[in-house]
Amino acid sequence: MGSLSNLNSYYWKYRRLFIPGLLCAIASSVFAIIVPGVVRQAVDVIPQMVTTYGGFADTPAAGSIRRTLGQSLAVSGGLVLLLSVLSGVFSFLMRQTVVVASRHIEFDLRNRLYEHIQTLSHAFYVRHSTGDLITRSTSDIEQVRRYIGPALMYSTRAIVTIVTAITAMFIISPRLTLYALVPMPFLALSVFFLARGVHRRSDAVQEQYSSLTSRVQETLSGIRVLKAYVREEDEQAAFDRESSEYRRRSLGLAFVEAAWHPVFVVIVGLSTIIVVWQGGRLVVGGTITLGNIAEYILYVALMTWPVAAFGYVISMVQRASASMARLQVIFDAKPEIADGDLTESGVTRVEGGIAFDRVRFRYEADRDPVLDDVTLSVGPGSTLGIVGRTGSGKSTLVEMIPRLLQPDEGRVLVDGRDVREIPLHVLREAIGYVSQDVFLFSDSIAGNIAFGRMDAPVEDIRRAAGEADLLESVESFPDGFETVVGERGITLSGGQKQRTAIARALVREPRILILDDALSAVDTATERRILSHLRTHFGKRTIVIVSHRISAVQDADHILVLDGGRVSEAGTHDELLAREGLYASLYRKQLLEEEFATLA
Amino acid sequence: MSQDENDTRGFDGRLFRRILAHLVPYRRWVALAFATVLAAAYLGPLRPKLIQVAIDRDIASGDLESLGRMVMLLVVVLAGEAVLSFVNEYLTQWIGQSAIYDLRSRVHRHLLRQPLAFFDRTPIGRLITRATSDVESLSQVLSSGVITILGDLTKLIFIGWFMFSLDVTLALVTIAVMPVMLWATLWFKKKVEDAYRDTRRQVARLNSFLQEHVSGMRVVQMFSREREELRRFRGINDDHRQAHIRTIFYFALFWPAVDIIGSSAVGLVLWFGGLRAMDGAVSIGVLIAFLQYARQFFEPIRNLSDQFNVLQSGMAGAERIFTLLDRDEAIPEPASPVTLEAPRGEIEFRDVWFAYGSKPDGEPDWVLRGVSFRVEPGQSVAIVGATGAGKSTIIQLLLRFHDVGRGSILVDGVDLRDLRIADLRRRLGLVLQDVFLFSGSVEDNISLGNTDIPPDRVRDAARRIGAHAFIERLRDGYGQDVRERGVTLSHGQRQLLSFARALAYDPRILVLDEATSSVDTETEQVIQRALEQLLDGRTSIVIAHRLSTIQHADQILVMHRGEIRERGTHQELLAAGGLYRRLYELQYREQERAA
Repeated sequence: MGSLSNLNSYYWKYRRLFIPGLLCAIASSVFAIIVPGVVRQAVDVIPQMVTTYGGFADTPAAGSIRRTLGQSLAVSGGLVLLLSVLSGVFSFLMRQTVVVASRHIEFDLRNRLYEHIQTLSHAFYVRHSTGDLITRSTSDIEQVRRYIGPALMYSTRAIVTIVTAITAMFIISPRLTLYALVPMPFLALSVFFLARGVHRRSDAVQEQYSSLTSRVQETLSGIRVLKAYVREEDEQAAFDRESSEYRRRSLGLAFVEAAWHPVFVVIVGLSTIIVVWQGGRLVVGGTITLGNIAEYILYVALMTWPVAAFGYVISMVQRASASMARLQVIFDAKPEIADGDLTESGVTRVEGGIAFDRVRFRYEADRDPVLDDVTLSVGPGSTLGIVGRTGSGKSTLVEMIPRLLQPDEGRVLVDGRDVREIPLHVLREAIGYVSQDVFLFSDSIAGNIAFGRMDAPVEDIRRAAGEADLLESVESFPDGFETVVGERGITLSGGQKQRTAIARALVREPRILILDDALSAVDTATERRILSHLRTHFGKRTIVIVSHRISAVQDADHILVLDGGRVSEAGTHDELLAREGLYASLYRKQLLEEEFATLA
Repeated sequence: MSQDENDTRGFDGRLFRRILAHLVPYRRWVALAFATVLAAAYLGPLRPKLIQVAIDRDIASGDLESLGRMVMLLVVVLAGEAVLSFVNEYLTQWIGQSAIYDLRSRVHRHLLRQPLAFFDRTPIGRLITRATSDVESLSQVLSSGVITILGDLTKLIFIGWFMFSLDVTLALVTIAVMPVMLWATLWFKKKVEDAYRDTRRQVARLNSFLQEHVSGMRVVQMFSREREELRRFRGINDDHRQAHIRTIFYFALFWPAVDIIGSSAVGLVLWFGGLRAMDGAVSIGVLIAFLQYARQFFEPIRNLSDQFNVLQSGMAGAERIFTLLDRDEAIPEPASPVTLEAPRGEIEFRDVWFAYGSKPDGEPDWVLRGVSFRVEPGQSVAIVGATGAGKSTIIQLLLRFHDVGRGSILVDGVDLRDLRIADLRRRLGLVLQDVFLFSGSVEDNISLGNTDIPPDRVRDAARRIGAHAFIERLRDGYGQDVRERGVTLSHGQRQLLSFARALAYDPRILVLDEATSSVDTETEQVIQRALEQLLDGRTSIVIAHRLSTIQHADQILVMHRGEIRERGTHQELLAAGGLYRRLYELQYREQERAA
């Protein structure tokens, strides 16, 4: 429960909504609670009038008595209506303030959460899956919101209604009140247990539903294997088992849900019956009137929801507090890569010199290092090529330049300065980075390119697209640069995606351009065109090209060959060929490949 | 759910009857549910009537004994109603869940039966939706849909009947409010539905923004776009908030409105009831009964309008499911299948032509053009060639994932089309390049959950393949969940698991698509040995990437653009100096040098 106290500042922030809202809640309950009294008066007045009316039957006064009664009943009826209109108006205002405030707080909380996760780095995202984070920012925040708004509103109304109604009932007959209220605590209790049961069981149902869904997903993804090994029947049986577990859990939930209505009917019905039974005895004894019975029946009806709300609110608070605790874990996570004590805010420019000084890195403490004793140095404006087999550490190496990863040992330097000394945004703004697995947003192509530089004018976007050899593809799309890509738009080919990502990096006009195997999905001719465009920048900006194709790196000023996390060869293309090592053999293989491609 | 799928649909009688047909196996239970819902619908409105009698007869005359009896009767009626309504609600859910279980099973079975061409064409996400959420949307129709609607209707009728039998004038007065209530409810439903649609859209926007930005967080951070993306997020979050606030408005309006309309009924009952009492036409008990009926009356109306939405969304799901079920593309089994007695493992392709689709001019786009070859029992064949030469198509056809366009494929002299598919595939073992691991233990991934393969055989297969050692080193050994977070099997290890899988099934014929990706020399040696183990004594067709595999093959087929260009042994083909020789220099000599 303690975690919920973190929300107190929000109540204060929206006090202008909460205070009037709660006053409205009180007003609304008070007006509603007057109604039974009015009904009682009307009901009690009828027999008296009827008696009087009977006494004056067939006299001229009868007409006026009838009129008087008619008028007084009309006034009572009108009063009932008026009171419920007043109660309604306040209840409207209550929802418009308290519930609206809860949405404002939800808005604030979610912004805060998103802003926070933006600062968190790689290690955090390894621990928390995307689905997990989405659940936090949707359903957990929703649980907390319900605690903030509806729970507060319900409990305020409940307290006012119950206190007022019980007071009014006690004044009439303490004994009847006690009798009538006997079932009420059971209502609160059963609602609490039912609500808890429903929540738990519906969580269990949800869980089984996702397991059912992922089973289907897996079956369909692995359909080739299943068919090849004739596993269809067993898979069907396994699915049926999951499905029947789902049915079992759903029925478990249905069992509790089926109890809701009967519980209400029984408890409210019992209260009414007790009122008639014990009230009837009191009426016979002359202590109370028939009107009081009608009044009590209405009180009982009025109290049903507030009493039930108590049980409900407690279960809501429990859930909200569990959700808040989960959110707090995220809020408490500290960004691992951020500006710190080493940062020198005076640094505002990056020239583009890159150096690694005995860098060593491993993803997990008990694994072999991915980079081991890597040292390199290239000046601003030069081109660095990196080749090596899959898993040799190429990507890890370049990810250290923009500080997506940090070395365990050794230093990464830009312009001779440890990257930790350069303010993170200065460093990253100077870098255009194209990663191996291209990630584009569901936005237009222009929007995706401009992701690299928000204020990029159209000409710059076009130029970048041209340099990335994307122009022709874009112009073949129906909406050109405005064509939306991704889920709700067209699906780009792997090569088109890569070229879009390259344009996105180029439009930044970065001091350092990093292409991490960013040409793997384009054919050699396209690769050649893009490289020749990039060559116009040779000397002007630092370019780091990671590739498994020699053709992409052979013109670089400096080429590194990585093998098992270590630099196995280094030098220029000619130097490396002369060494007759890994590089030279890769190169020959590639020449043959080209020859074969031209084969008829 | 994707954008092009509507989530509601108008009422359609034929579709509805087809949905209801799923209840036929449960008709007795449905009848029982009807009986309970009708009885409960009677007992609810009976109570105010009994209370009226208690007040007018027993309390008015001071007969406490009779009052006691009436109270007992009331308790019995109350208990009866509670029990009946519990039984009814649970029973309807049980019926719905059972019918849904059947349907889900049927959809799944249908999906499994479809040929691979179907899966190549249809996005998996859509199929998952069919088997899960579309089926789910029908569950409410099948359970509460029909029965609850009937229950609410009868309840309305009973309440009306009790009211009219007590006093016609007051009954008319109370019912007079009904059109207003009905109108308010329908108005609210419409508004809220619009508002909800907007809310759902905003929730979807929010979710997809989060989904995208959490997965692409590196890009956001890399391009230092945090500030701008936060600004966008706030915008979407704000739209989301506004949509909810609009919904709040309608709810804030609706609940008090219901109360006010109900109270006006109470007010009218007081006024008219009092005047009728003066004439001696109604008693106080009747008045009190009407005060209760005025409240009871509105509940069924609200429920009915809820059920309408349930029906609509169910209809949309049902239509999609039935469309899927109505189109069965499963490859038909032969009318009189040939059973192969002791399988020998002979394969023959006779002038096989195949196309996945057509060219724009309507001509088939041939991937295989007149491929013929023969593999004797126990022989191994290596297929080599560049990407797109048609190598994997040969495998697909042999497994009968697709049917040939022209020509025929024979196994042990029998045309594939004359065999039961299951019989054919049981004879074949398939190992694919991209190893697909199912979530679950290592053991299950080898046996694929086949109970005919005992744990011993799984371990034996793993041992012979050389996978036993690394499996034992996993935290939970053979019981290790392969998809658990943090457990990552290397590419080579996954390969070995798929070899062990094939070996455990011990097929006559082995079909293998060798992986191209390079592994370290140590693993390479393990895989090499494993392959030898696997191919030993079996007929095999291998799409080969390893020089050693090719060198050991009895026959090499060189594929180029859908045709077999060259065939022979390694030495013969090298000597011929054709396509194979170039290919060898390109792809395999390197391996030779490394070895």
